[in-house]
Amino acid sequence: MRPIDILEYVLLSFKSDRRRAFMSSLGIIIGVVSIVAMLSVSEGLYSGVNERFGDMEMDLINVRPGSNMGPGPGERPSFAPEEPAELDDRDVKIIENIVGVKAVYPLKSASALLSFRGDNASVRVMGITPSHHEDLKVVIDRGRFLVDSDYKAAVVSYEIAQNFFRMDISPGNRIRLYLSEEGRYMDFKVAGILKEDEDPNYAPDDCIFITHKALEELLGRDEYKYSSISIRAEDASQVEATADDVDEGLARIHRDEAYTVEPTTTRFESLLEVLNMIKYALAGIGSISLIVGAIGISNVMMLTVKERTHEIGTMKAIGATAWDIRILYLLDAGMLGLVSSLIGIILGALVSGVVGSIARIPQEVTFSSALSGLLFGVLITTIAGIYPANKAAMLDPIEALRAE
Amino acid sequence: MTLVETIDLEKGYRVGDMVVPVLKGIDLCIEEGEFVALMGPSGCGKSSLMNILGCLDRPTGGSVILKGENLCTLSDGELARIRRDQIGFIFQSFNLIGRMSNLRNVELPMILQERPPNARRIRARELLEAVGLGHRLEYSPVNLSGGERQRVAIARALANDPMIILADEPTGNLDEKSTCEIMDIMKKLNDDGRTILMVTHDLEMTRYCSRMIQMRDGRVVQEGI
Ligand SMILES: Nc1ncnc2c1ncn2[C@@H]1O[C@H](COP(=O)(O)OP(=O)(O)OP(=O)(O)O)[C@@H](O)[C@H]1O
Ligand SMILES: [Mg+2]
Repeated sequence: MRPIDILEYVLLSFKSDRRRAFMSSLGIIIGVVSIVAMLSVSEGLYSGVNERFGDMEMDLINVRPGSNMGPGPGERPSFAPEEPAELDDRDVKIIENIVGVKAVYPLKSASALLSFRGDNASVRVMGITPSHHEDLKVVIDRGRFLVDSDYKAAVVSYEIAQNFFRMDISPGNRIRLYLSEEGRYMDFKVAGILKEDEDPNYAPDDCIFITHKALEELLGRDEYKYSSISIRAEDASQVEATADDVDEGLARIHRDEAYTVEPTTTRFESLLEVLNMIKYALAGIGSISLIVGAIGISNVMMLTVKERTHEIGTMKAIGATAWDIRILYLLDAGMLGLVSSLIGIILGALVSGVVGSIARIPQEVTFSSALSGLLFGVLITTIAGIYPANKAAMLDPIEALRAE
Repeated sequence: MTLVETIDLEKGYRVGDMVVPVLKGIDLCIEEGEFVALMGPSGCGKSSLMNILGCLDRPTGGSVILKGENLCTLSDGELARIRRDQIGFIFQSFNLIGRMSNLRNVELPMILQERPPNARRIRARELLEAVGLGHRLEYSPVNLSGGERQRVAIARALANDPMIILADEPTGNLDEKSTCEIMDIMKKLNDDGRTILMVTHDLEMTRYCSRMIQMRDGRVVQEGI
């Protein structure tokens, strides 16, 4: 038979038996919907994370007090819980002298209340050493960045400047920072505003930068310890090795104290790994529903073959070969798969759109997730069609004609 | 020229553990242009013989020679090919496909032959017109009377321009008037040179035929006019 005639025969069964087509394709539609929706949502999660962390510099290493995590399951807790290490200028000196380290940014963060023209908002205050922060200097929108000699000057993030108060904050404005619990405060003059969405990844977007000197005075404590030290490695590809060197260097002065040295990429990578696992688990669930759908298709097709026994016998009697019949019914299944997959992709896009907007997850129906829905749908229905098609092909014409 | 020849043809059906013999050594010859009536009491094996001659079934002994070719040596696929290209089968119960139009039913053998759509459509239309159904092309056979259905079946049997027409009680389900119509068509086909082998219970029918073969209990008991 010519392909066009095969197609016409297949379409005939669609027309003459719509209910059958619909009932049998329901399982496949659901399977494809779940595959597409799940792939899209997880793809969205994935690219959302990627977007947020993707511009992260690969040459950054983070040092912070405390160990990364407690003892793992089944692990014996270490005999004496280690004190978190206290990071200060000694550490900065040591790190600066390690080969492979390009720049060191000691950071201290504190939460404070920002008061501007009678309104208050809670913000994060970052103490920094201005001369080290070339990266911040280049993302100034208006005004200028801090210099080491600054004292009561602050650089404000775009978010705070634009969205926190009724009036926008501009360079030259006066602001006041309260330390909420102690009632201490200090006045600052705004030196500059950062560009929109250009906040460094070691700082949140509601952040005010001041010098360490100013923050030390604001906090008013005897000891001023850094909350973390960011390190930029000279060679991004050597960042792991540099991190190890830093770890070793710090071990000398922090014996029995806990601290963590970690290239920021590691955290990003393990996050991606988890997302990948979620993605494949979701796709797996979709596959299972597809398989259930395939069993449904197989059943419905068995019924169809049974119903059409007489017709198949007739076709064989007037000269159809077993292969003619086999191909007709395989294609019947494949066509069901194609149509239901297309419906499934459309519904899947809708579902993922709805899920995405309800759960506030970024989602996008990518070409590849639509394609995998289509491929799986068609492939699995065709496979499901093999047994019934074979059954039809192997019918004995005389017996088949006697049926009905 | 001899179109069909059987030599000591045997057929047995397996029923449980036993093989029940139905055809017990049939020797017959059908020449080109003949219109042969095959008669005999119910259950004597007429349909079994027709099925074997029509390549729908295989004998359990002896041989069938179709235009010099021994059918026993052919594969299932090759048998299907012979059904498609050489044989026109007409059944007592019509065996038309209700989901398809009459036109498409008649086209079907030519679809299997992969003939070009235009040519086969024209031929199917001509054949249906020839049996007086030119006004029922797009009807489904379901909506036709028995006589009309059998006429569609005859048109279908002619679609592949078969070398022989095998008709197993073609008028068995029809009333008198339809029977006459069908037999007139068959007669005309034979006059045009078609070779026909037809099973019938009705002695009346034999007046259309050129020869009669009488069967009893799996054997040919009488041949003649
Ligand atoms: N598939 C089968 N299995 C077992 N026995 C069969 C089978 N087909 C036919 N028979 C038997 O073979 C014998 C001949 O059957 P067949 O149909 O050839 O008879 P027939 O001459 O055509 O009869 P009728 O005039 O009633 O159509 C019958 O006894 C029938 O029961
Ligand atoms: Mg019979």
